[in-house]
Amino acid sequence: MDSDSSPARRRFDPPLPAPPAALRRGPLRPGAFRSPAHEPRTAVVLGRWLGAALLLCFATGLVSHLLQDPPGWLVPRLPSRPVDGYRVTQGLHVVAGLAAIPLAGAKLWTVYPRLFAWPPARSVLHLLERLSIALLVAAVLLELFTGLLNTLQWYPWPFPFRQTHYWTAWTAVGALLVHLAVKAPVIAAHWRRARSAPLPGRRAVLAATAAAVGTVTLTTAGQSVPWLRALDLFAPRRPGTGSLPVNRTAAQAGTTAVPADWRLAVDGPAGYRIGLADLRALPQTTADLPIACVEGWSANARWTGVRVADLLRRAGIPAGSAVRITSLEAEGPYRVTEMPAAYADDPLTLLALALDGRPLTPDHGFPARIVAPNRPGVLQTKWVARIEVA
Amino acid sequence: MRAVRGALLLGGLALLGCGVVGLLTDPYVTGPLGVLLWAAALVVVHDGLWLPLVCGLGAAATGRPVLRGWLVVAAAVSAVAVPAVLRAGDDHGNATLLPLPYLRNWLLFLAASAAAAALLALVRRAVRTAPRRDR
Repeated sequence: MDSDSSPARRRFDPPLPAPPAALRRGPLRPGAFRSPAHEPRTAVVLGRWLGAALLLCFATGLVSHLLQDPPGWLVPRLPSRPVDGYRVTQGLHVVAGLAAIPLAGAKLWTVYPRLFAWPPARSVLHLLERLSIALLVAAVLLELFTGLLNTLQWYPWPFPFRQTHYWTAWTAVGALLVHLAVKAPVIAAHWRRARSAPLPGRRAVLAATAAAVGTVTLTTAGQSVPWLRALDLFAPRRPGTGSLPVNRTAAQAGTTAVPADWRLAVDGPAGYRIGLADLRALPQTTADLPIACVEGWSANARWTGVRVADLLRRAGIPAGSAVRITSLEAEGPYRVTEMPAAYADDPLTLLALALDGRPLTPDHGFPARIVAPNRPGVLQTKWVARIEVA
Repeated sequence: MRAVRGALLLGGLALLGCGVVGLLTDPYVTGPLGVLLWAAALVVVHDGLWLPLVCGLGAAATGRPVLRGWLVVAAAVSAVAVPAVLRAGDDHGNATLLPLPYLRNWLLFLAASAAAAALLALVRRAVRTAPRRDR
């Protein structure tokens, strides 16, 4: 921050003593970092790219969170269209998150010498500012690391992924805004390129970072972007090659063997139970709908089944009702899900019995599963046992 | 400027507070200390091991911009690919998780991009050292 040392300022921001100069060794020495690109203009350009990626991650992550876990006031307002809405927002979330890995690496490299600034803290405010940067870096690294590993379904840490990723995102964005407030004068001063001679080291760093972001994106985005599928080398999912991916298999859910007397229960004023043959005898609808997962992958498939709205009307449940759907699986965080009215009423929302013209396999939810437009994959309940008013 | 900075600072502190309080009070996050430890460990590994390595390699490759550029791209791709390589085969019986030959793809990518970078470096050298012809 500015080095204003008026008495009023000093009372409000007491200076701190400098440590003995003998401690100024190794990276703390002046001139320990020789690359010319450790400078503010490079940091501002990379910061703009990284900031855009992080804010895009935050916005799309918030959409995903609200779709999965809406507060009560939002439930009746969640839209079931556009059909591909969640597919796009969550695909962007993971694409931007992966792009942020090289961007964060380059940004932190650029400002790395500032970690060894001398003296370590000039004043109490300066110390707080440095601590806020530590918090920002820690939160961003944690977000990128947990997000990347979640796409692999790899959870080596002792805390729950979803809640931690969510709250750390708020922490990271808050620390980012504080950082922008503190650095505003430096950012403003270097927002445009100076007219003087360009710095060759800067151009090389920016070009290498852009190449790294492009390469990471092109070799992973095929899991969300169909026309990039041919370049996909490292994405953890491969939709569109033969089989539609699943997040949870029937073996994992304990639903490989469906009870022989399985009959769907639809509870309502005129509730009923209905077997598979009778479901197939009802008017069938075929719809091309995507399965889009929080891990970023998505794929279209052709689903055939009975409209959920038709099933609800048969049970005397009026339009505009939110419903609760229960799966056959014995346990799991998504065994019971709530479906807001906009989805339940949507003519594209199906109790699907067939995928691509063939009966569902156990992994895809045999005997019957939910598929609705613009919904996270975890809410597309498989192995459905019961539908009732929420 | 002053008003924007003030708004950013107050808004940032509010969001930051939300995040920390949320983490501390979320019923599912039973051990917030574990979150802090993992975040701190990531900072220590990144700033204490990874960045010194990058700076050392960068200093060793001074004056070789193509090599430096290739190292940056290879590092970025490896950051994304190595977890998949380490995890490949560990799919909990879900054949649609990690279906690609990640180790092969990673090694192939490193080899192909290294070859492309070497070619680029050779071309650059040839262009630089070619005797100028007068027209």
